Amino acid sequence: MTSAPAIRVVLAKVGLDGHDRGIKVVARALRDAGMQVIYAGLWQTPEAVVRTIADEDADWVGLSILSGAHMTLVPRVLQLLREAGLEQVGVLVGGIIPESDIPKLLEMGVARVFGPGTALLEIVSFLRQRSGAGHA
Amino acid sequence: MLETLLERFRRRDRLALARLISMVARGEQVEPILAGVGEPRRPARVVAVTGSGGVGKSTPIGKLTEEVRRHGPSVAVLACDPQSPLSGGALLGDRFRMPARPDDDGVFIRSLAAAGGHGALAEHLHALIRLLEAFGFEVVLIETVGAGQGDTVVRDLVDVLVLLLQPETGDDLQWEKAGLLEVADVIVIHKADLPGAERVEAQVLATLALGTGTVVPVLRVSSRGGGGLEALWRTIADRPLRRGRRQDGRDLLRLAQQTLAARFAAGTDRPELRQVLAAWQRGEIASAQAASTLLDLLREGAAAKES
Repeated sequence: MTSAPAIRVVLAKVGLDGHDRGIKVVARALRDAGMQVIYAGLWQTPEAVVRTIADEDADWVGLSILSGAHMTLVPRVLQLLREAGLEQVGVLVGGIIPESDIPKLLEMGVARVFGPGTALLEIVSFLRQRSGAGHA
Repeated sequence: MLETLLERFRRRDRLALARLISMVARGEQVEPILAGVGEPRRPARVVAVTGSGGVGKSTPIGKLTEEVRRHGPSVAVLACDPQSPLSGGALLGDRFRMPARPDDDGVFIRSLAAAGGHGALAEHLHALIRLLEAFGFEVVLIETVGAGQGDTVVRDLVDVLVLLLQPETGDDLQWEKAGLLEVADVIVIHKADLPGAERVEAQVLATLALGTGTVVPVLRVSSRGGGGLEALWRTIADRPLRRGRRQDGRDLLRLAQQTLAARFAAGTDRPELRQVLAAWQRGEIASAQAASTLLDLLREGAAAKES
């Protein structure tokens, strides 16, 4: 009862990409770690994702992209978050992201990129650690 | 801090609404928040949509939202999904089935984790409805957790209770049982494009014909084809507003219960409260006695705060 409020995470697939197995596995892991996972699902536009983050008062958003459009979609989400006054929301990216794009995404403001083979526990620990102080 | 949020709320800042909902949903500062947002200018039409898990609640709510918007009123949706009794986590997967235009400020969708034991609803729902009303939403749609036959408390919170049924849910004895079917204001045979829909409708109508109360509308709706949704909204919009009428003490009792729960949550650090809890956990005092002591302590706490 005196524990910290549950971490709220929006998970979304942005753009035209129909592969949702990975994001569902992540959703399950976060649920089992005691977090509240808002599953926004497939074919989301950046605008729709940001509206979801706003209305759900989310602490984090996880974007899963396997289509190769991450260098277009992720900056757009980041820009819309800033415009909406939601720059405090942490952005995670998962999926198929070429090694050389990762530093660019981090530079733009993405908190972390989780590629294939990431241990679920690694994502959970990262969120817990980073939510400790900043997200009351 | 709270005053700033409330000020932003009164200026119709959506982010402030979202943040206040989080606080109320956690039981934080419910009383000051409700006092701060003020009375709604007009009461909203509050509609609950309930039924068993998998009957199809989110999809028709999404479609209904579009239908209401076509007629003009703004819509807020509170979608409840179960919270794990083991981890405390929740997978909130309702809004996934409710696509809304992100540029339409007349639609607000919020997912809520609902712990067990509250009639398939998130806690503090009454207060959350008040927030949305005060913000100016004209229709509030509530999706319950997949509900069982006994989850009837939702009726007291809303103006219109819509119960969704689907084909192949059992024989006609199911409809004779007491509970949810008795308290519904509108009954929907959902997935009406599937075989067996007419049979369920006939069974339900036959059961309702035996009752002596008011006539409950029964409609067939198919979210897949979109059939029946317009009729559903017309039926809901025609129902009288039930909330606000001070019929019996239940509203008052609920408010008292919530106030008490909030005081308990806020007071867990008080040493005298911890003492009672610890003694009860060690088995030194009986549960009934502990509960009674707790009541006294929570009352004293409030009196001390007010003086």
